[in-house]
Amino acid sequence: MTAPLSVHGNLKSRFFRHSLASISLFILAVLIVLSLSAPLFEWILSVDMQSTNLFQRFQPPSFAHPLGTDELGRDTFVRLLLGGRVSLIVGLSAAITAAVIGTFVGLIAGYFGGWVDDLLMRLTDSVIALPFLPLLIVLAAMDLTKLGLPQALVENDNISLLRIVVIISLVGWTTAARLVRGRTLALRSELFVKAAVALGASPVTIIGRHILPNLSSTIIVATTLSTGNIILLESVLSFLGLGIQPPWPSWGNLLTNAQETIWQSPELAFYPGILIFVTVIAFNFLGDGLQDALDVKSVR
Amino acid sequence: MIKFLFSRSIQGMVLLLIMSFVIYALIGLMPGDPIDLMISANPRISSEDAARLRALQGLDQPLMTRYLNWLTNAFSGDFGYSRLMAKPVFEALQPALMRTFQLMGVVFVLSLVIALPLGVLASRRPGSKTDYTINLLAFAGISIPPFWLAILLIILFSVTLGWLPAGGVPIGDGQGFLKTAQYFIMPVMALTLANIGGHTRYMRASMIETLKNDYIRTAKAKGVPEKKILLHHALRNALIPVVTIIALDFGNIFSGALITETVFSIPGMGKLIYDAIIGNDFNLALVALLFATVLTIAANFIADICYVALDSRISYGGQKQ
Amino acid sequence: MTGASLKRFIHKINIFIFVLLLNGNVSAAKPGDSLTIGITQYPSTFNPVIDAMMAKTYILAMTRRPLTAYDQDWKLVCMLCVTLPTIENGLAKPERTKNGKRGIAVTFQIKPEARWGDGVPVTSKDVVFSWKVGRNKKSGVGNAEFYRSLYKINVIDDKTFTLHFDKLTFTYNSLGGFELLPEHIEAVNFSDPLKYRYKTAYDTDTFNEGLYNGPYVIANRQTGSTVVLEKNPNWWGRKPYFKTITVRVIGNTSAMEANLLSGGIDMIAGELGLPLDQALSFEKRHGRKFNVIFKPGLIYEHIDLNLDNPFLKDIRVRRALIYAMNRDAINSQLFDGRQPKANSSVNPLDRVYADDVPVYDYNPAKAIKLLKQAGWKKTRKGIRYNDKGEKLSFTIMTTSGNRSRELIEQVLQSQWRAVGIDIRIKNEPARVFFGQTVTKRLFTGMAMYAWISSPESVPRTTLHSAHIPDKFNNYSGQNYTGYKNPEMNRVLEKIEVELDFRKRKNLWRKLQFMYARDLPVIPLYFRANAYILPGWLKNVKPTGQQDPTTLWVEDWKR
Repeated sequence: MTAPLSVHGNLKSRFFRHSLASISLFILAVLIVLSLSAPLFEWILSVDMQSTNLFQRFQPPSFAHPLGTDELGRDTFVRLLLGGRVSLIVGLSAAITAAVIGTFVGLIAGYFGGWVDDLLMRLTDSVIALPFLPLLIVLAAMDLTKLGLPQALVENDNISLLRIVVIISLVGWTTAARLVRGRTLALRSELFVKAAVALGASPVTIIGRHILPNLSSTIIVATTLSTGNIILLESVLSFLGLGIQPPWPSWGNLLTNAQETIWQSPELAFYPGILIFVTVIAFNFLGDGLQDALDVKSVR
Repeated sequence: MIKFLFSRSIQGMVLLLIMSFVIYALIGLMPGDPIDLMISANPRISSEDAARLRALQGLDQPLMTRYLNWLTNAFSGDFGYSRLMAKPVFEALQPALMRTFQLMGVVFVLSLVIALPLGVLASRRPGSKTDYTINLLAFAGISIPPFWLAILLIILFSVTLGWLPAGGVPIGDGQGFLKTAQYFIMPVMALTLANIGGHTRYMRASMIETLKNDYIRTAKAKGVPEKKILLHHALRNALIPVVTIIALDFGNIFSGALITETVFSIPGMGKLIYDAIIGNDFNLALVALLFATVLTIAANFIADICYVALDSRISYGGQKQ
Repeated sequence: MTGASLKRFIHKINIFIFVLLLNGNVSAAKPGDSLTIGITQYPSTFNPVIDAMMAKTYILAMTRRPLTAYDQDWKLVCMLCVTLPTIENGLAKPERTKNGKRGIAVTFQIKPEARWGDGVPVTSKDVVFSWKVGRNKKSGVGNAEFYRSLYKINVIDDKTFTLHFDKLTFTYNSLGGFELLPEHIEAVNFSDPLKYRYKTAYDTDTFNEGLYNGPYVIANRQTGSTVVLEKNPNWWGRKPYFKTITVRVIGNTSAMEANLLSGGIDMIAGELGLPLDQALSFEKRHGRKFNVIFKPGLIYEHIDLNLDNPFLKDIRVRRALIYAMNRDAINSQLFDGRQPKANSSVNPLDRVYADDVPVYDYNPAKAIKLLKQAGWKKTRKGIRYNDKGEKLSFTIMTTSGNRSRELIEQVLQSQWRAVGIDIRIKNEPARVFFGQTVTKRLFTGMAMYAWISSPESVPRTTLHSAHIPDKFNNYSGQNYTGYKNPEMNRVLEKIEVELDFRKRKNLWRKLQFMYARDLPVIPLYFRANAYILPGWLKNVKPTGQQDPTTLWVEDWKR
């Protein structure tokens, strides 16, 4: 009989035993801090992310520009840091939001079964089959002020970040939903759940104490795997005018913009690419550590 | 079982109907139409011309009317003409469908054949060198944007080494298998590498979790050889989430991959759907997208059947309170 | 797997790869008599009169000859006709129509040797048939203005006919838009005009040689990817060099470059090829092996200013905007000098260009002075405010995903910021931009995009006040800036009907002066097309305008 162990006390120690996860947490923290301190670097180097200088394009690294300049003479380093702001915020929050929505849907569908399951799963099918291109174009054409939002709010750059997170979450929850539902169906028929039902425990208790903890592995993998995709998805949105607007950088759109300079300045693609790669690795190993730490079955 | 089949079929058909309306409405709601794009390039077209052209394409009637017309015709088997390709819709779809099916089919099978064993291998000893290597390969697959992977492959194999054609499809029929295969090697590589990442990680995570179960410990204690434990005892249960992912992947077989197709100049479903939507070719876009819908519904249905096959305790009835 | 079986497996793989490489002769450029051209789009139809698309025009220009065309020097020349009818040589006679309007009768003679690919001669019957198709409201032909203005055709004989127009404009003898359809093939398909789009032989029977009267015919195609052209056995002009021409469609420009370098294609079409900055980079790296020709074209990149915007109404603000732009630096640094700044919508290569029109050079000090004069004196954090506390801020919009435009937006944002003007960038997908934002004048400040035109094309619909789109006229007209100048209206109306070239040139000069003085539009530059040709290909003469380079394909050779 495997009742959930007391997770809180052991959590920290089990997590940090997983050295890779600890390193990953550290790396992510460094990236986040660096991104948020971009204005500091702007001040130190006395550059800003949008001042173009047509006579300083594609400069190699120097004291004034630690990583050189880009196709419009702007400082690459500062733009990378600012890009991290968008990509990390969008990547992490959209991944988590999508996971939360998907888990909720999948849990309800898998636990209650019957027509609830059918309804929710057919809804999931329809969202999966929905063609996103026309949806996104229609969204791009919508005038948000008609929905009653004040003009200043609509034009705020932070609102566009929120909009991106909302769009991606609305589209990205389906995988988690299917996975969680599948796992819930299996868990529902486990002995300990059947026993709890027989003992008269309420659905909330059963879900909260028995099922949810056992879903952690599935949810964590789905969430961490989607980060990379989401960071890149933001740049696809830029292509349709739904991502952040120029001149704001994001790792995704820095990468896309580097397509055309691939021959003369491949490093403009390399930097954002490697940052995305590292973020994906870190987030995934972090997930591995969390899985281990939250694990209820391990005998260690 | 029959009841299950029956109710799911009904659900599927209802869903198709609803989706057909949603898709039609979405395309219709997009601002502008191809005529506006024509005007923006050529100032000579007057507004009477524009109105006349719109009327010709039936774009001047309200959305609901157009949709109901389409629906009535569809029920009698007439899915109309593709405005863009000037052919009956199915005739217009067929070459792209075949091509995409071949490409994505190979990618689908190849991804499974490579990713599943790798995932199992990585799960044997989590934290080992093997595990790290496989993980890194998986991460590389999921963090490289498809465009970049495609271009890098082209630069390597076409420009530098000159081994493979940089893109396109062979023209004419009756080309030898080997000649045709050259054109597909890089697209398959690009798409498979991207898929392997996810599949491997899911397989690994699922195996690791399954291997922690009591009955596995029991089997180990009883001295069952590792290979048998992995492949016989653990795999069945570990496959459930993997089946979910595979089903979601399968649903894409007819939707193609827009970016990869564009970079490798393969006229497949991805590009066709894109062009149809942008060109307001309702008939073509609807049928193409409904194909994808049917496949998604079918794939998830099959996945649900697989769950029962893999874990006989699973049932779909409502929860008894 | 045992060691031995592994060895055998690897051996098999090696053979497989070896055989693959043997069969793979795709990397070598095809020898001698064939040419492969890369373009970025596939035509939606091969019928010349339905759906205007550059890809279609480009390919069809190798298979058909129009009656007249503009050549590489932007001069009008005869292609199918014997002599260009002019009033001077008497072949064109002004006349009065029945309603008393001033019209003109223009007589053309088709070249006696001209015939369709199946041997049937090109005759006046084809002319009349094509006219009927164009005039018919149900046929789906776009540019109906021409067919409406052409109200009667007199057939004099098989090869000679007279066209009667109800408007007397100086372009009376330019028939580039009047595509001829072979009556003996298409008449039966046109029996139900509504179904013509689906029955036209150009799409249902594309390889029929009778559809083409040019040096090549379409011999094979793969929808979405390839078109193969072969020599027309019944071609009546100069013999072309290449036996086969293959046109390959590669939607992605980086992949297009890779295909060129790996030998998959021989050349990249200028009309539908690499964007300028990519071509410039390519030239720097491969300029020795390839011949890169930059031909300035008639694509006018500009910024429309919404003259209803309270701040933009002030001419001083508009002038300040343009003085604060360093367009010369943009040209020299981003475009290697290939896209010099434009001063109006008239291209410097155009016959009617006036070179004494005042030019706005980069002068930020003057810009600041003008802004101060206009009341924008206070600054806060570098941005100007007026006495009412309003911020000097504009939104600039363009098509999202377009690299060059996005780069320029960011450069301009930076340059304008330096004189205290705050700019927000808000881009949209082309569908939305052209579908509603520009056409319904929903942009509040600036809209950046391009117009495609032909030599000496009169900008009536973009500058005449009668063509301002609003909800009363159902948003017709392209005067998106809302420019209202009665003097400009008069000049536009006069130009169209002025037949004397010198007088017309004077009127054009007035137009350009007013354009520069009033600045309803900020001119940016004329896009240059980059033609990338292999070193061994000779005699390609880029046109740089709507009539594609392929109209002279029979001159190309090794």
